Amino acid sequence: MEVTDAAVVAQVLAGDRDAFRVLVDRHSRSIFRVVYRMTGNQQDTEELVQETFLRAYKSLERFELRANFSTWLYRIAVNRTLDFLTARKTHMQTKDTYQIVDNPDAEDSAQIQLPAQGPGPDRLVLSAEMKQKIAGALGLLTPAERVAFTMRHMEGRSIEEISQTLNLKASAAKNSVFRAVQKLRQQLEPYAGPGTSSRGARWSGSAMK
Amino acid sequence: MNHLSEEQIVLHYYGDAEEATEVERHLAACAECRAEFARVQSMLRQIEPLEVPEPAAGFEEKTWLNLHDRLPEKGSLLRRLFRPSPPKWAFAGVMALLLAAAFLAGRFWPRPGQQVAQQPPSQVNPQRVVLVAVGDHLERSQMLLVEIMNADTKGPINFSSEQAEARELLDSNHLYRVSSQQAGDPQVARLLDQLGRVLAEIANGPAEVSPEDLEQVRHAIQSEGLLFKVRVVGSEVNSRVRRPEPSGSGVNQRL
Ligand SMILES: [Zn+2]
Repeated sequence: MEVTDAAVVAQVLAGDRDAFRVLVDRHSRSIFRVVYRMTGNQQDTEELVQETFLRAYKSLERFELRANFSTWLYRIAVNRTLDFLTARKTHMQTKDTYQIVDNPDAEDSAQIQLPAQGPGPDRLVLSAEMKQKIAGALGLLTPAERVAFTMRHMEGRSIEEISQTLNLKASAAKNSVFRAVQKLRQQLEPYAGPGTSSRGARWSGSAMK
Repeated sequence: MNHLSEEQIVLHYYGDAEEATEVERHLAACAECRAEFARVQSMLRQIEPLEVPEPAAGFEEKTWLNLHDRLPEKGSLLRRLFRPSPPKWAFAGVMALLLAAAFLAGRFWPRPGQQVAQQPPSQVNPQRVVLVAVGDHLERSQMLLVEIMNADTKGPINFSSEQAEARELLDSNHLYRVSSQQAGDPQVARLLDQLGRVLAEIANGPAEVSPEDLEQVRHAIQSEGLLFKVRVVGSEVNSRVRRPEPSGSGVNQRL
């Protein structure tokens, strides 16, 4: 029988610190994915995964045993990442902006490929160059915009989930998503030349003629 | 006619725009806004395939190792309960389990003399082996009880996995209960007896239980603080198992 997360939490609270490892084994990879999408940096992500679990452990008494552990952990991870991005922004304002673009290490370029589930009919196969431009544009967003955009766009989370996770009003969550897209357009639309076989390129092309 | 705002168009892409039907009606009628929407759509679709690298093999292990030493101890309440002056019943309970362990060890190792001759005494501690089994039994029971206490109460509940676990636990529970009785500890016998009745109730019930049935089982668990007792005794047994024994007869010395 697979032991539930809640049962493991109870075990840890009863004094079995090592039982916490089960939760690390179960959830660290998914937390890694969540955080990586928001930071775009492997090393920062690994540290944030640790910080997330440390914080979860320390506040384990506040976890409602009836609640879903992964949702709870996810919220900690997102908020921890938001704090981290905010702190980084204030400490290294100018350098930070281009950090992601400057960091295309070997592992990253190996990842420039189609998503595992295969491209949908509308998916475009992007060049490595375009991927870097996207990463650079994402780096220009404010931490809140980046987090909200990642949740809505990449994870398909609802506005309600975003506002609950970040403790925002729904209107503020929507606004963060919108401002993120607005900035991304400013950065990325100049690159969408006639070569891109998108409907948007055709529309803009015909408008100019 | 007023055109859609950029915000309306962007939010519409995600299905988050207010007055969605009006936005759609406008898009159907207005080529300019449709073009704008298409630009947004094409840009956002390009962002979709961003991929996350898989963390290196052993990532979980590394995370745990880095984390482990930073985790403060939990369960100070239990430690306060047991040290320096453990409550009488808990102490008696542990004594009984140790006696039961010794008793079972005698049954499981019919020729202890031969064994001692074959292996160094520090490695042969049958009592310890049985203690591990008792600790495991209480731990598994605890997990099952916690799971039941936290099960979702909406609609009919599938209980088949809990039942399978309860059936297995019931077998070993019987063995430990009999030995604790023979070891002369009515308190731990009562705990295992109580546990056994709840396990039997779970094991013999229907595979799909109603919220009312579940409530009844929970009531049985809650009565007389069964879960707490299982936790306390189980935790103490485990901490003794984990503590390195100075010699093979450590358990006996304590008895
Ligand atoms: Zn219009």
